[in-house]
Amino acid sequence: MARLGRRQLPCGGWAALRSCSQPALEATCFSALAPGSQSGGVLERAQDFILHTQNPNGSWPVFAGDDPEGAWVTSLAVIALRELVPAIPARSKGFHWLMNCAGKESNWFWKWKFRTTDRHVRFDPDKFGWPWLPDTVSWVVPTAFAILALSQLPCSCGGLEGIPFRVERGIEMLMDRVCPGGGWNAGNGVVYGSPLAPHPDDTAIALLALTDRRQEPVVQSSVRWLERTAPTLTAPWSLAWAILALAAHCRPVDSLVTSLVALPDLSNIEDTSTLALVCLALDHRRALSAFGVTL
Amino acid sequence: MSLTRRDFLIGSGALAAGASVCVPFFLPKYHSVQRPKRSRVAILHVEQYSQQIEQMLASGLRLFPINVLGKTVVLKPNLVDYIPGNAINTHPLLVLAAAESFRRLGAKSVLVAEGPGHQRDTQLVLSQSGYQQCLRDERIRFVDLNRDELIRTPLRASYMGMKDLWLPSTVLEANFLVSMPKIKAHHWSGVTLSMKNMFGVVPGARYGWPKNILHWKGIQESVLDLCATVPVHFVIADGIVAMEGNGPLNGTPRPLGKIVLADDPVAADATCTRLMGFRPDRIGHIREGSRFLGNSAPALIDQVGEALTPPTTPFQVVPEFQSLPAL
Repeated sequence: MARLGRRQLPCGGWAALRSCSQPALEATCFSALAPGSQSGGVLERAQDFILHTQNPNGSWPVFAGDDPEGAWVTSLAVIALRELVPAIPARSKGFHWLMNCAGKESNWFWKWKFRTTDRHVRFDPDKFGWPWLPDTVSWVVPTAFAILALSQLPCSCGGLEGIPFRVERGIEMLMDRVCPGGGWNAGNGVVYGSPLAPHPDDTAIALLALTDRRQEPVVQSSVRWLERTAPTLTAPWSLAWAILALAAHCRPVDSLVTSLVALPDLSNIEDTSTLALVCLALDHRRALSAFGVTL
Repeated sequence: MSLTRRDFLIGSGALAAGASVCVPFFLPKYHSVQRPKRSRVAILHVEQYSQQIEQMLASGLRLFPINVLGKTVVLKPNLVDYIPGNAINTHPLLVLAAAESFRRLGAKSVLVAEGPGHQRDTQLVLSQSGYQQCLRDERIRFVDLNRDELIRTPLRASYMGMKDLWLPSTVLEANFLVSMPKIKAHHWSGVTLSMKNMFGVVPGARYGWPKNILHWKGIQESVLDLCATVPVHFVIADGIVAMEGNGPLNGTPRPLGKIVLADDPVAADATCTRLMGFRPDRIGHIREGSRFLGNSAPALIDQVGEALTPPTTPFQVVPEFQSLPAL
């Protein structure tokens, strides 16, 4: 946690890699959520940086200096600012942007194309979520983060009445994109008739967004897949996400936490988001609360 | 028949409007011709992945006038995802052999860089595919291009209709970029070779996983814009065990027993395509790339090492690409 604090840039953000100096929103949001950020003004500087990088349209860019159309990290920024009262107007703009941002398949023309001529990837275009960046189709990770962010809204009023519909559609989209046998990858469960393998991190992030649907067979089979896979993981990013998701689904994670701590070179992790995720997994109860997940 | 001033103005306006619509279709979409007069390709016969690869590769590289003295060499393998038993990724032994060879040729530094297109956890792919241990043992630095520092880069061709892309500084600042693809059939683009391998330089953190925006803008078009903008200086293609069928992930391993070296990515890909039993002019990005990026015609390629012998049975492909194996 101390190492994470030392990586904070003078502007208040964090770079994606230790060797870089370009402040990135994903690394900054995860670092701001990590337990060590509460001391020495680290969190305040991070929140200030996040607030100042918001785009005029309410979204957030992937990194400072990026184009202003907005991206998937908007969900993370909204989550990272959840406890900051002066950030309420900024969060509100972020929620509006998220409500209006949808996968391209939500448009009737692309829906028709995916139903008729472009059927190599198995999915239902009626069930759409959020893209990585505007003007592309929905994928699992941005959809899961958007569901987590929008679920933190106290009420869907003041022009945000469409949010329950969007969240419900997003949940349906996640259910639809599941891999045969459980778990998720980027969002292609079956291509050209061949099932594709799930990924532990994508599965874990989707499961975090589906904690309200614990009884769904798709969720249960995915939890079982992650439970089987997690003990074999040798990479801290995936293992940390697996700990968070399994804890969210009330599964025992003590042995996984022990494995995470025992991974070699943990303190020399190059990727800042991974280092922050490790800190979050080691304090998983608090981390889940930050993501708005109730146990 | 007399032509009034009014008729003349209307006619001129219609002509100008027609020209403004039609002319862009006839103008070249590339900014400059980068094609060399001649290209050189070497085919090496290598039966299996072993410690002998380094020696064989070093011999193969001597067939080219390579100068990497004092340069930063970036090796860009094809590292997408890991599925046990599937020949998805460039084999780590070949990457290690390349690193050692370029070090011996006097490179200032050699690093390996990739931005996996399917799996977000790059370290997991490195670990599962055997790269992590090899790179650590040989003290070779790895850069995750999905999360590297980004520079807005004007594109030097306009096939996909974008003016610029945010690209990783590690790749843009390399003195000598080596594309190291796995020879594979691909369900969207027909083949994935040294040119398509450049998709890996497009940062996932900015453009998503998979690099979906490139699919929307057109795979063949994106490949051309990327290769025009980020020049590949050399190619080392891994075809010892290649992939046919439903590539790039779920195809069938196909032992080919070849490594292909080239100083021109178009020539490399045309040669690999012929080794797969396909016609290179039926792959959009190779056909169009041969107009301005490199050479695909055998007459313009100096073939060294082994002779190019197409296989008796062409590589299998998905139904959309059944026209490829028509030599």
